[in-house]
Amino acid sequence: MSVLSVPPARPAPPRLAPPGLVRALWLEFKRSAMPYLLPPLAVYFYYDAIRTADGYAPVWPLRTSVVSHLVFYFSVVGGGLAAWVGAREGHRKTADLLATTPRAAWSRLSVALAGTLCWVLLAFLSFAAVLYVQTALQATWGGPPLWPVSVGAATVTMATVTGFTCGAVFPGRFTAPLIVLGLTVLFEIGFRESELVRVSPAGRAPSGNHALPSPGGVPLQVSVFHDLSYGTYALLSPLHSPPAVDAGVYYRVAPDLSIVQVMFMGGIAVALFGLLGLAAGLRAPGSAGGWPARLVAVVLVACGVAASWTGFTLAGTAQRDAVTGGWEIPALHSAASDQPVAATPDCTAAGSFQVCVAPALSFDLRAVAAELDPVAAEIAGLPGAPTRAEEVATMNGGKTVMARISGNPPVFEFTTDHVDAVDTQPDGNSDLTGWRTGFPQGLLDAFLAGPSPAAGLTPAQQAVGDALLAAVGAQPVAQVPGPLQPLSASAAAQRTEVAAAAQRFEALPAGTRHAWLATHLAALRSGKITAAQLP
Amino acid sequence: MTAADTLTPARFPGAPAWMAGRLPAGFRLTWLHLRTRRVPAGIVALAVCGAGLRAALHWNSSSDPQQFPMIVEAGAAAVIAVTTHGPFGEVERATGRWLPSLRLLGAVGMCGLAILALQLGVTGASLNEGILVLARNVIGFAGLGLACSLVTGGLLAWVLPLGYMAFCQYALTEAWSAPWTWPARPPADRGGWIAAMTVLAVALLAYTLRGPRTRPSDNA
Repeated sequence: MSVLSVPPARPAPPRLAPPGLVRALWLEFKRSAMPYLLPPLAVYFYYDAIRTADGYAPVWPLRTSVVSHLVFYFSVVGGGLAAWVGAREGHRKTADLLATTPRAAWSRLSVALAGTLCWVLLAFLSFAAVLYVQTALQATWGGPPLWPVSVGAATVTMATVTGFTCGAVFPGRFTAPLIVLGLTVLFEIGFRESELVRVSPAGRAPSGNHALPSPGGVPLQVSVFHDLSYGTYALLSPLHSPPAVDAGVYYRVAPDLSIVQVMFMGGIAVALFGLLGLAAGLRAPGSAGGWPARLVAVVLVACGVAASWTGFTLAGTAQRDAVTGGWEIPALHSAASDQPVAATPDCTAAGSFQVCVAPALSFDLRAVAAELDPVAAEIAGLPGAPTRAEEVATMNGGKTVMARISGNPPVFEFTTDHVDAVDTQPDGNSDLTGWRTGFPQGLLDAFLAGPSPAAGLTPAQQAVGDALLAAVGAQPVAQVPGPLQPLSASAAAQRTEVAAAAQRFEALPAGTRHAWLATHLAALRSGKITAAQLP
Repeated sequence: MTAADTLTPARFPGAPAWMAGRLPAGFRLTWLHLRTRRVPAGIVALAVCGAGLRAALHWNSSSDPQQFPMIVEAGAAAVIAVTTHGPFGEVERATGRWLPSLRLLGAVGMCGLAILALQLGVTGASLNEGILVLARNVIGFAGLGLACSLVTGGLLAWVLPLGYMAFCQYALTEAWSAPWTWPARPPADRGGWIAAMTVLAVALLAYTLRGPRTRPSDNA
């Protein structure tokens, strides 16, 4: 046997090798530092997002507002990580070496950016999915809103691209921490500005009127708010306070602001990605990728700037929705958002008193009924006593709705927010106890109040209300222990007088109380009876 | 021309011209050590932090005035942590007899400069909780940064102080009172001071003796 007698080697079957860019992307994905950052992010997620969400009522729009917490952490982490990866060629002093490769610098950097962005977005969406699954297991009505996640993904993408571009253009050791600091400060400022806009009773003052083109042909006249320090930036910020408990329950949450936020953030990301291509060409002209790549980069920058500017301008036209109380943008607003949501309320009845709530809030129906039923029994049969309690929207016609008794037969209408002064707190320590305890007092206040409920209760009405609450074992909200606040001498004397009268009235037998109320209720409501005159 | 004609006083790259041949070797060594750590740029960054803190105090009118100062304090500590990285690695370790002293000098000096820069930034402004909290937070965050540099190297040592700052922002809103959340504690909180000083002392000792982790690939 000689060498010549050995049969020629058969060629190996062709392997299905992925294209070069996919292989490079897979390498970036495998070598990313993001997995090392997932444990601390999980700690943040548990302490901040999960605990906060647990403290909220299981209503979809309220619970999914916690996604903004994730947006903050993932944007800051994504920006810092991307800045580090973007500065890699500078750290390793490999820019000159890589400039000799046939691949354009922009293409090479894009692979690194894509690998980082994939990791950050995957982690963000996974954590958001956990939040959504937790809500889905507890919510009694509605479905998962996708806009919070879309805005979050756009913001995280914007922060990651920003960090990567800064890292690639300025590959210094201070770049990554400065990006993290800068993003943190920007998000904090945005959150605070949104708080100012939210709590300001006057809203924002328009600084001019503009005409926007309308598909119908008639230009749309809108008021424009251009004050950067107080308004527009706040609306574009993805970080904001939680909405009202019943937001999205009676009226749909209009997506106007979310669309503008996605447009603004996405525009910045696209523009910076184009800028990355131009910068790569300037830093290494030999590996710029030729004029087609530069043209694409210029087009991306132009499109990104146009999208961001459009988003910014549209956000400047935002106004308070007269129906729902949310933000609407005239050029994007759909009148369908202002139509009430058709949903059959969930009701329960104990005897002749029926309690109804929106299906989204039915998780608390039994508890609310348990609070209201004893008080309703105390006043049953009295003139104007309600036979039904129904939960209504917090905002109606752009105005805040207060608890009241109306109609014939009388119906007690209450809201989630304004029956009680105790809001749900953004932490894991509070629960809905304070929220519930306000319901019976709200019913009694509405029942005992005179023709002008906004004026508040007289001392006699307050004493009767406190006595009836004490008779059913409830505690008035005003007497719930809280921070000590100094009282004036007259207020202290009045409180003492009310407490003494309430004790006297509570000590009466139930039948005597009922009979006295049946006789004197009209005088009590009109304010003709003083606390001292109570039996 | 002879070789003697070319003998000029030793002048290290980057050293100012006026310094050549005039200052003792110790000063030149210190200057070069600091320069390789980008300390001059770090001092500029600290000045920027001071200006940023001043701007935050001027602009900030919210109900939680400690949040922005905490961000800036952690930023100053991140700058200190990043300046621990040197480009020479094992070569410097093997030949640098004075390296531990230079590390100690650099870290302590940068901490002092950070506190000074931030204090100058808030001079004439109303800083919530005063200079004591500022100094305590800078010290504690810097300790975390120095400790982190032992594990990750100087270039990534900013991760721990900034990450811990983000966690303490949450602790601040939740009013946690554990000593290990010292950035969220009032100035008179003894536990907070003990925790911050302990972190700095331990981290400074370890950093002085061992130095930050170095890898041949790190070069910035």
